[in-house]
Parts: sequence; structure tokens; C-alpha cells
Amino acid sequence: MIKKSVLLLLILSTTLSFSQTASNQVAIEELNAAINYVNLPKETNSIAVERGPYLQSGTPTSVVVKWRTDVGTESVVNYGTQLSSLSKNETNTTLTTEHEVTVSGLEPNTKYYFNIGNKSKVLSESVSGDMYIITAPTAGTKQFVRAWILGDAGTANNNQRNVRDAYYKYVDAASENTGKTDMMLFLGDNAYSTGTDVEYQNAFFDIYDDMFKKSVAWSCLGNHDGKTADSAKQSGPYYDIFTFPTAAEAGGTASGTEAYYSFDYANIHFIILDSHHTSRDIGGAMYNWTQTDIQNTTQDWIVTLFHHPIYTKGSHDSDTEDRLIEMRNNFMPMMEDNGVDLILNGHSHSYERSYFLNGHYGFANTFNPDEITSGGHTVGATGSGDGKAEGDGIYQKTNETTEGAVYITTGSAGKISGGDLDHQAMSVSLNKLGSCVMEVEDDGLGGQNLTVKFIRENDKVDDYFTINKKGIALKSKAVTHKSDVLSYNSDNGLVSIIVNTNERLKKVKFYNNIGKKVKKSRKAVVDVAKMTKGTYVVEIITNKNTYTESVIIE
Amino acid sequence: MNRKLIVIAFLFLSVQMFSHGNLSERILIKTIEILENPNNYRLYYERGFLYQQHVDYEEALADYVKSESLGNSNKDLKLRMAEIHYLTEDYCNALAQIEIYLDVDSIDVIAKKLEAKILFKLKAYEKSIKAYRYVMNNMIDVRPEDILEYANIILAENNKNYEGALDVIEFGLQELGPNTLSLQLKKLEFLKEFGQVENAIEQYNYFILQYKRKEFWYYKKAKYLSEIDKPFEAKIALKLATSAIANLDSKYQHMTSIIELKDQIKNLESLNNQKL
Ligand SMILES: [Fe+2]
Repeated sequence: MIKKSVLLLLILSTTLSFSQTASNQVAIEELNAAINYVNLPKETNSIAVERGPYLQSGTPTSVVVKWRTDVGTESVVNYGTQLSSLSKNETNTTLTTEHEVTVSGLEPNTKYYFNIGNKSKVLSESVSGDMYIITAPTAGTKQFVRAWILGDAGTANNNQRNVRDAYYKYVDAASENTGKTDMMLFLGDNAYSTGTDVEYQNAFFDIYDDMFKKSVAWSCLGNHDGKTADSAKQSGPYYDIFTFPTAAEAGGTASGTEAYYSFDYANIHFIILDSHHTSRDIGGAMYNWTQTDIQNTTQDWIVTLFHHPIYTKGSHDSDTEDRLIEMRNNFMPMMEDNGVDLILNGHSHSYERSYFLNGHYGFANTFNPDEITSGGHTVGATGSGDGKAEGDGIYQKTNETTEGAVYITTGSAGKISGGDLDHQAMSVSLNKLGSCVMEVEDDGLGGQNLTVKFIRENDKVDDYFTINKKGIALKSKAVTHKSDVLSYNSDNGLVSIIVNTNERLKKVKFYNNIGKKVKKSRKAVVDVAKMTKGTYVVEIITNKNTYTESVIIE
Repeated sequence: MNRKLIVIAFLFLSVQMFSHGNLSERILIKTIEILENPNNYRLYYERGFLYQQHVDYEEALADYVKSESLGNSNKDLKLRMAEIHYLTEDYCNALAQIEIYLDVDSIDVIAKKLEAKILFKLKAYEKSIKAYRYVMNNMIDVRPEDILEYANIILAENNKNYEGALDVIEFGLQELGPNTLSLQLKKLEFLKEFGQVENAIEQYNYFILQYKRKEFWYYKKAKYLSEIDKPFEAKIALKLATSAIANLDSKYQHMTSIIELKDQIKNLESLNNQKL
């Protein structure tokens, strides 16, 4: 009994540590910020930037820059490819304290330095060039990509800062793309305990300020963010702070809501879901959207993030909690059938990382480490291993074996909360503070490696794994079409019909992709050079038969 | 002191039965606070809300009632009580509570929306529509789910009022963006249900033209065309589906969703061929 009450006190103290902020540390942070960023010459009637700038909704040609000032003023973003010459600007003359400027007309994969201010002066800039936008590569581009993944970060205490600093050290020492973070992916619960604006200031903006000025932040909604996000007019801090694409501005499918959305970055498709507020039912609006979205992508990698974990035995239990079970039972079969590669969740304040899985929708104790070909839940010869090149071997996806995904529950970027940590589907379960980094790079053999590392608050990498995808460079391209009765030559724009010698061609009809008849002919050679590009169904009618063929006219 | 320790130990044992992690810890903390301040209505309200999030509706309601009996006259308490009654399908009491809330604050969109939902459950459709219309016109961030719910309420009131339901969808498309997927899908569903064949086919064409990968849309269109006895048109759509699949990158040929789609196409083809 005594022991248990001691345990209870421990629980209490970890819970209460949410609300504590180390004020000394905050003071140091502010000092650092002042050194790195020149925030205007101080005048008595000067305007101060209280938040940001931070980058949102990055696309190959645009980005949203947001910041807050203490006094209402105009919004100006000056930008240019040379730090010494920020010759372009985007201006909004409406006086506001909540600034949101869409900078558009940018070149893909290009670095633009920027500063912010009002019509009369610059209010925040980085003289050392640490405030910049790197636009996203055009969708489909194969190149090195690095994403920093943070789950349940928002404690605003030294745990959170140590996890952050460990990543900063990691990225600054990285051999590839040194110092460059293409995006930040927040897994929700970004600001404890209720996601208020003040809590977001302390646990989000004050902590990641440096990174927000050069890397686009994306997020899904956590249960703690959801407390204030569901306020009277269906907005609230979470939705005010973030600007996410609702109309497929960054690729993907229009969801009509910031609660769930998708975007493309290089050759990766990201699907962000709301496992907290939105209905998780099959056939519900979010399910239908997800299905359409995932079945419309042609990207090489598919990554999804949402707050509630598919598998966990940490501070939450995926065997007993409804949101977790519903996401697993309703969403995962569909997403796995459509080629999802990586699932990122938070909520449990631990790091739990699965084997290379497919088709495990039951409880933890129903997990079968055998290969799916033998009725189990892992994929390939290495699927039940640790996924490490130096260990049991990396996980493998090919054009023939398209199954297999790794599930990560990584909610310890701000605190750890223990748990049994014995979910059978997990290769690794750690009650340790840390964040994850995902890196996608060429494997030198025409494929790519997707590697995720778990970076502890003490700078150590306690886990990593790699998924290799073969044949990414080899795309099947049907430029010419040939069948027994029809051939198409894109060079001369001619479709030739070949009928058997004992048959006589009577008619050739072309139907376009919405089934409309667009061309008729009686000839065996049809000029299609002027027809709109696309897929056509060709009906070939002879005196004896009707043949139906399809052809893609380029 | 010793007694308190026993109580705490007991509470700790009971916390292990909870499954919602942090939430159960917070309920426990609240319970301890209540032990120390048994007459503080704020604490009961707060614990009630924690219970509510923990899906322990009975306990939540008990705490709300207790909070009220201790003098809590805050309107939010009424909203929470209405929510609990709604969640436990006690719609009459839900309505009673939300009306009290709306007497104090008649413009709160969340409360108004809950009122609309309660009225809907009570089959007071006209009143429900009125409440929902207010919500639609005043909510800053309308979500597609709200539009879908509103459209369903309109049809529940009058199942022939497809124009009204479609109007709501169009309103949603205007508000949320013309390609909002869930709304365009609902539009398709309505057009099919109301037998607007030409418009339904147009709607399939919208999806085919809008989306990069078309194989699933071709198949869905073919299925509809075959069902409404347009086997020739269905055959063309099926051919387009097959062609679209053949031109996908090779990895898709081995993906479960596409393998299943190929099977569905094959089945529909043989079914449809009998109609030709
Ligand atoms: Fe959470």
C-alpha cells in the first residue's frame, strides 16, 4: 500500500510538471532570440513582433508567412534569393496584429531569404541569413528529404528543450543537407494542457522559434489541442495558429477542412488525419476523403500522421481505447491496401516502433510475427527483424511486394509517461524522451531508402530502421500502343486498324474518357494528331465482329 | 492522515481500471481535491467534464447535478448537461437544458448546433432546420460534416426535398471550395437517389476529369451505368478502367486495392455483357 501511494505521488508529480515552466530557461531563450534576430530598433512608439514569423502551407510556388505584433499594423514580407537584396515584397495594407501573408509566384526548390515588417520599416529579420523559405520541390521529384517529427511536445519545460536541442545538434552535424530541415511534423498535443493561445506561445513558439523561421510546420490535432479548438465558433487557437490547405493547394485532394488534409513534398505524399474530433467511421466524410486521396496519389512514398496511435502499450492502450481501435479497424485496412509506408502517431508518451507490418488489426496478443505469406503480420524476409542494415536487414518494398508499413508511436518530445511498453507488434519500445527524424535518400540502385531515427534528449540515437523501395526510377511508360487490331504511333499521330483478312472494316468510333463519342471513321488509318491528349476507347466494327480497344493519345 | 492514505491507495487501485492514461490521472487528482473541498461546485464541474471526456457519462452527470446543487449557475454547466443527455439519448432532458442555456446566450453557435441535433432526434424537423440554418449562417469555420448533417436533416423533414438538400450541398461547395470531396460525393449520392440520371452521369464525369488517377471512378461510373441499363456506356467505362490500370506504374498492379478493383471489373464485365 505504501509503495503504491509513493507511485501515486510520482504520477502526480509528472502530471503537474505540465504546468511548470523553467523561467530561467525562458529568459535565456529570449536572450538568445535577441542575439540571433534583430527585432527592430527600440523606440517608445515602436511595434514589437510577439510571435513568429513562422511558415505554413508550403508548396512548390508559395508559402504562408504568419506573425503577431503587439499593435495593429500593415503586413509586409520582403523577400529575394539574395540576402543582401530582398527586392520583392508582398504587402497587405489592412491593419492587424495577426499577420498572414501568402507569398506566391515562387520557383520550386528555391531558397528565398525574407524579413517581415510594416509599410515603414522592417520589424524582424535575420542578419545572419537564418530566416528563409525553401520552396517545396515539384511533386514527384526524387531528392533528399528530411522531416523532423515531434509528438506530444508541448510541456514548455526542459525536457522539451533538451529534445529540441538534441535534434538541432543532429541536423547541424548531419553529413547530408547539413542544417536543413525540410519540414516539421507535429503529431498533436503541441501545447499542454488545453492548447490555449498562451500555452501555444510558451510550448510552441518560444521553443521552436528558430526553426519556424526556416522550416514549414505541419500538424495534426491532438486531444489537448482539441480542448480549446472546439470552442464556440468552431475555431480556437489550433485552427487560428495553423493555416493548412483545404482545397488541395499543396497537392492531394480537397478536404474542405483544416482538420484533415494532405500535401505533397518531393516524391512523398503526406496524409494528415484528425483522430480526435472528426468521425472515424467507415463511409464518414474523413474516411471517404482519405480513400479518394490515397487512391489518387502517384507519389513514391505515402506517410500518414494522426494523434491516436494504432499500436501502443504506453500511457495509452490500443487494445481498450475507442479512438485508437477505430483508427486501426476502420482506416488501416484501406490505407494499407493502398500502399501506405509509414504511420506516425503520438498520444502515448513513449517511443514504440513496429516491425514491418501488414494486416494486423486485432489486439496486441493476436499479433503473429510470421510473414503474411504464412498467415502472419510481417512482410518479407526481414519484416520481423529490427530493420537495420547492420542488424537483421532493412525492410524491403518492391514493385511486386507492395505491402509493409512501419508504425511509430512517438509522443515523448515533451515528457515520458511509462506504461507496460510490451505491445507485441513493436520491435522497440522505449520510455525515453526524444523526437524522430525521417530521411529519404537515393539508395544508389535506382531506389530510395526511407530511414527514421529516434533521437534522444541526450543526443543518442536509440533506434533507427530503414525501408528500401526498389524500382522507383523505373516507371512503366506506355507511349505507343499495340494490340492485335490497333496500333498507334505518337510520332505521326496515326492510329492504324488491322482486321483479319476475312473481315471487312465498317466503322471506327472513338470515345473519350467521359464516354462521349468524339470521332468516327471508315478508314483503316485514322489521323488523331489533332485530338485532345488522353485515353480513348476505340470501337472497331467489322462485318463480323466488334472489337473494343483503348489507346492513349499523346 | 492514515485514512487519507488509504483513500488515496484505493483511488490508485481504481485508476488502474481506467484506460485513458492522463485523463484518469486527472480525474484522480480532481477527486483528491474534492476530498479536501467537498463543497466547491467548480471542482465537481471540472471532474464531471473529465468524466465526460472519459466517456463515463453517468459519473459526469452526477457531478454536474452535484455542482448545480452546490450553487453553480454558470451557463456552461447547462451546455454540458445537455451534451450528456444528448449522448445518453435522453433527448427531452437535453432539450430542456439547452433551452435554459440559449435563454442566457441565444447566439452561441455550438449550443445552437446541439439544439438542432436534439430537435432532429425529437423529430421536430422544422425547428431543427431553423436552428441549423442559424448555425450555417453564423459559424466561422463551417466543416463539410456540418453541411452533410444539415442536408440530412432537410431530407429527414421531407424526403422529397432533394432540391433543398442539393442547395445545402451547393452552399457548402461555395463556402468550402468547389472540389470539397465529401460534398461532391454526397451530391453524387443525392443525384442517384433522386433519379437524376443525366446529372449523376455528369457528376461521375466531374470526378473522372478532376482526378489524376481515374480507374476507381471509371469503375464506379460503369457500375452505375450498368445498373441503370446503359450496358454499352458501361462497357466503354469498364474499358477505360482497364486501360487506366494498365497504365499505372507497375507497383500498383500488385497493390491490394488494384487487384480487388481488377476482380470487380471482371465481375461487372461478365454481368454487363449479358445485358449487351
Ligand atoms: Fe494525447
